[in-house]
Amino acid sequence: MTTTTDTPVDTVVRVEDVRALLDGVWESFLGAEEPLLTAALPAHLGGWTAAVSVTGTWRAQITIEVVDPLARLVTAHMLGRDEEPAVEDVRDALGELVNMVGGNIKSLHHGTAMLSLPWVGYGEDAPPPLLRETCRLDLTWRGLPLRVLVHVSASAAAADERRHSG
Amino acid sequence: MHALIIDDSTTMRSILRRIVTGLGYTTAEAGDGQQALDQMEAGPLPDLCLIDWNMPVMDGYTFVTRVRDREEWRDVTLMMVTTESEHNQIVRALAAGAHEYVIKPFTPDAIIEKLDLLGLVPQEATA
Repeated sequence: MTTTTDTPVDTVVRVEDVRALLDGVWESFLGAEEPLLTAALPAHLGGWTAAVSVTGTWRAQITIEVVDPLARLVTAHMLGRDEEPAVEDVRDALGELVNMVGGNIKSLHHGTAMLSLPWVGYGEDAPPPLLRETCRLDLTWRGLPLRVLVHVSASAAAADERRHSG
Repeated sequence: MHALIIDDSTTMRSILRRIVTGLGYTTAEAGDGQQALDQMEAGPLPDLCLIDWNMPVMDGYTFVTRVRDREEWRDVTLMMVTTESEHNQIVRALAAGAHEYVIKPFTPDAIIEKLDLLGLVPQEATA
């Protein structure tokens, strides 16, 4: 399932833009032969969570959730190895993946903002409560699920809503 | 030819290493700008540095400025390879002395094309 909330303009990240960026990252490092497919996924995937935050004139958090088998598959592909990757390798590869996706999403917005170093955890989730979900992509690759979420500053989103409804 | 790959991600270092070793380069790696400076002090001096922007300890931009402060390192080619794609960031890096700027994600061909423009693809790799 692919959804977007009705948060207007400046803080909004368009689903189609995020999808295009994600496809670009995927094709560059994982090949174009097997594309990402839109899917209906359960609310909680479990497994790995990788996130970067954007701070500055635009505040956001970009999160990738991925089940462990897919995390290992992605890591092996990125490293160009056939053998099972170590946990540290999975952590690093997911961090780099969310760094690339987050960095490119940041570039969609005008203004000056900084990208944080990536945070990666296993079995942990929950974005900071001050941020509101504005974009969600539920996808599969090789039949295994992953989710990309973009949260923006709730206060900035509310200000945009007031500005554009007034 | 010798390349120093500077990125806090071991995955990205591995990807870049595969590309440049495929061209015949020898490589060394550093996880941040300070480690890279230490390696350059110790030698051997690289022909090429591939540099991420966002790294702990010392970021890639600071590394570029530090290298350009050193007259004896002026022949080292500096290529940023980063997710930082804002126009002002690119301008800053090039003004500080980076020769080229590649935005992640990239394909191997994109890196090779940039190196070719800089005359850094060994002839035996193109033969």
